[in-house]
Amino acid sequence: MQHRNSRALALSAALALSLGTLAACGSDDGGSSSGDGGSGTTEPVTISVATFNEFGLEGPIEAWNAEHDDIKIEQKKVGTWDEAKENLYTKLAAGSGLSDVEAIEGDGMPAILAESDAFVDLASDDVEGRWLDWKQAAGTDADGRLIGYGTDIGPEGICYRADLFEKAGLPSDRDEVAGLLGTWDDYFATGQQFAAKMPKTAWYDSSGGVAQAMLNQVANPFEGDDNTINVENPELENVWATVTGNVDLSTRLPQWSDDWTAAFQNNGFATMACPGWMLGVVEGNASGVKGWDFANVFPGGGGNWGGSFLVVPAQTEHPEEAQQVAAYLTSPESQLMAYADKGTFPSQVDALDDDALTQDVRPFFNDAPVGEILAERAAAITVQPYKGPKYSDILQAFQAAILRVDDGSNTPEQSWKTFLSDVDQLS
Amino acid sequence: MPFTRPRTRPPGPRPGGAAATGGSPAGTRAPARTGLTWRQRLSWLDVRLSPYLYISPFFLVFLLIGIFPLAYTAYVSFFDWSLIGGQGEYVGLQNYRDVLGNPYFWKSVVNTLSIFVLSSGPQIVIALVVAALLTTYLRVPTFWRMSVLLPFVVAPAATAIIFGNVFGDRYGLINQGLDLIGLGPIQWHVDRLASHLAIASMVNWRWTGYNALILLAAMQAVPRDLYEAAEIDGAGKVRQFWSLTLPMIRPTLLFVIVTSTIGGLQIFAEPRLFDNTPAHNGGSDRQFSTVTMLVYDYGWRLRELGLASATSWLLFLMIVAFAILNFVLVRRAGRHL
Amino acid sequence: MTRRPGFLVYGLLAAYALGSAFPLYWSILIGSSTAEVVTRQLPPLLPGGHFFDNAARVIDTVPFWKALGNSLMVSTATACSVVFFSTLAGFAFAKLRFRGREALLVFVVATMAVPTQLGVVPLFIQMARFGWTGSVWAAAVPWVVTAFGVFFMRQYLLDAVPDELVEAARVDGCSQIRVFWHVALPAAKPAAAILWLFTFMQVWTDFFWPLIVLPADNPTIQIALNQLQSGYFKDFSLILAGAFMATVPLLILFVLTGRQLVAGVMQGAVKG
Repeated sequence: MQHRNSRALALSAALALSLGTLAACGSDDGGSSSGDGGSGTTEPVTISVATFNEFGLEGPIEAWNAEHDDIKIEQKKVGTWDEAKENLYTKLAAGSGLSDVEAIEGDGMPAILAESDAFVDLASDDVEGRWLDWKQAAGTDADGRLIGYGTDIGPEGICYRADLFEKAGLPSDRDEVAGLLGTWDDYFATGQQFAAKMPKTAWYDSSGGVAQAMLNQVANPFEGDDNTINVENPELENVWATVTGNVDLSTRLPQWSDDWTAAFQNNGFATMACPGWMLGVVEGNASGVKGWDFANVFPGGGGNWGGSFLVVPAQTEHPEEAQQVAAYLTSPESQLMAYADKGTFPSQVDALDDDALTQDVRPFFNDAPVGEILAERAAAITVQPYKGPKYSDILQAFQAAILRVDDGSNTPEQSWKTFLSDVDQLS
Repeated sequence: MPFTRPRTRPPGPRPGGAAATGGSPAGTRAPARTGLTWRQRLSWLDVRLSPYLYISPFFLVFLLIGIFPLAYTAYVSFFDWSLIGGQGEYVGLQNYRDVLGNPYFWKSVVNTLSIFVLSSGPQIVIALVVAALLTTYLRVPTFWRMSVLLPFVVAPAATAIIFGNVFGDRYGLINQGLDLIGLGPIQWHVDRLASHLAIASMVNWRWTGYNALILLAAMQAVPRDLYEAAEIDGAGKVRQFWSLTLPMIRPTLLFVIVTSTIGGLQIFAEPRLFDNTPAHNGGSDRQFSTVTMLVYDYGWRLRELGLASATSWLLFLMIVAFAILNFVLVRRAGRHL
Repeated sequence: MTRRPGFLVYGLLAAYALGSAFPLYWSILIGSSTAEVVTRQLPPLLPGGHFFDNAARVIDTVPFWKALGNSLMVSTATACSVVFFSTLAGFAFAKLRFRGREALLVFVVATMAVPTQLGVVPLFIQMARFGWTGSVWAAAVPWVVTAFGVFFMRQYLLDAVPDELVEAARVDGCSQIRVFWHVALPAAKPAAAILWLFTFMQVWTDFFWPLIVLPADNPTIQIALNQLQSGYFKDFSLILAGAFMATVPLLILFVLTGRQLVAGVMQGAVKG
């Protein structure tokens, strides 16, 4: 089923692609050095694309390379965004060494926009209106230059273990579960019920994940609209108090750590906040574990977690070709292929009502209609948190603060004080 | 192979400080210049110039890849210097004041020292014991020597990955073992001392055998007749070790301690790869953040190269201070042995 | 006097040797299991027979062969370069008299204590200026000469080449370069081999610099290992199989040259 989907997508992508290039040949006045005649006598230009984690771009890239002789795409994968970020900044500092196209995580985008001189303005009529408005806004700098082409977004639902729910005497059907977890209060109260029956299994995977999910629903978590840092606001203090007050429901493990990974195999927890791209992570970490399901609900309404962009650094020698490649990789067709492969939920308006998305079911999640659920979760998103240039750094400090309470190395009061002084250092 | 034959000079390293004064070069004083043939003149030039010819390739390259970056780093430490924006304003000693005023700096210093002590102390004691065991007339001595050197070929990155798995807080081998014998789990990544122990164990594992071999070499260089004389005097094995072996190998001991200081105070790969937290700067509460990790944190996470450079230089001063301190202490201790 | 030691000595040494080998055994053990087995409560006791499956996945996940080739190239080239520069300079410091010798030698010894992490940013900027970033040779650059190498060769040649020989050769009208070629070089061979081995291993195990300077698609073996470990989901059977695979080349080297390594350490090779 999925195979056929991807093949159909590959075909349609290839088709869209050739149409796209034909159009480009017609309108392009030769400003780019890429093959005008299309006769492959000249050395092909290789455009490198640096990504992290799983963008699911393998399919689209293969399709492109099969189709094009003048421009070849080469993907370079790094492990995590944290690593990619350090690499990116080092090479920005050196003024060279970056790939022609670089992937940027959504939370890191504001800091990139603050350095937008180092990147190419990608605005073009061809991509006008391609993305959800808020996604496009998050890729646009203060002067209105479009720096990032959106790839995916991260509408959040709840992943849960139906088998453990049953053991705890909770309803396990995904619609009933959805009815159970509509607000954060419900979520924590159900957690208490669960914990009473299943003391050895945590309710959720990590305090950090829950904190992130709650932050995604706050309008100004760390910074005012004028970029002034303000972390002593009631909303943030509420997130802090809620999360640190419920650490007993958590595995108390840092997300992405070894023990966190192992907890997937050891019945370590029963629920977690799942943006689209997390589904692939769960499936990978919990391989062989039965009972996972995906509920069409998110406490407190909708929320977006993560989702990325492609940018073109100004240091590239092939800005036009790089832009062309970035536009292709963020096209609805390419992103639908990526979704079929890795579960990254497209940010492109035209992709959202495509059958490949809306008809998608995932066997691992008990045949949940994942595409349909994610689309509804995306529609439920009402708040886009304001992210200034320091967002990513403050978030990291906030996560560390939660972790200090989680792992018992600090009381909440101590940890909050350290957080405030960490934030002071950042400004 | 040509280098399998045993060396003729007594083995054992020389302490770095003494090296500069050792040896007597065979180069001769320049002959009087009067009445020289062209051949003699050429030979004189040869003698005078060729040493510089031999050392200049090294120094030229070293200048480029060793000294220039050092000097440049010092320069950077006096500026407000962003990783991306580049050189900013001259700020004098402000970066140094900021670093010294940051509680994380002092925490990192304490952690670095603690990990250093936990790794160097046991390492040298165990290395001494292993070396003493190896000095006995073993069958197939090379086999035993190689077997203690084995961990040395495992890269720190691989070591950290393997030990990180063994020291998992929840599902690691050691905690499961503790659980089996009814002891509570140890929070290896959370408890400050426990994390230092875990990291020190990686260092110990990798370097103890290596140092044991160095000490073994020194022990073998102690003349046999001294032991025979001690035996005749009725000194037991243990007493021989304390009052004969230890004093005799003191320079080597100093060498081992100084080199482990230089390496130990720079420790980076092990704690960084051991860290589970997203920020990778040494645990949620910087339980095992080291000074070098702080350098990285300033430079690449906070993107403040000025602060990173200042921290580098403080680390450098620390290493020099410790090398000197070691030197003095071992010298002094030597008098009492 | 040549009494053989008793069981106690052998027992203690055997225990130590087992302890030394255990982490490697552990990496094989986990590296030959499946992900599900690894993360379950109790660890297996015997290798699980999936090592080659896991190895194949490692090769699939990271550019393993490329990384291996890169590491071999960089380590070999660097080791040769260090031996070359060090033997030349070491000989001059050990056996020739020239103005400024003592001061320069003190300088060399002093720089051995400098944290290597100190110069990373300027080095990187230099690399970028030369347009070398991304090339695997950039990983070799900070290592092509080391102060330690010069010091090591100097220490060795001090005793290995008798002053009388140098003197005699010179009196015979040998030029300095011939003294170096015919007297110093043959004498330096054993030390050169050891220096070569240690430099090779040092560069092979380096982590910090290649992490910064090499792109993910052109890594050394340590960086490939890091990529393996920092994925979105962590499969320890995969990661530890990779850790073992990254160690295999050095294990082979260790088996082939173990005697020389032991001899080298015993002559006072300094740790990196």
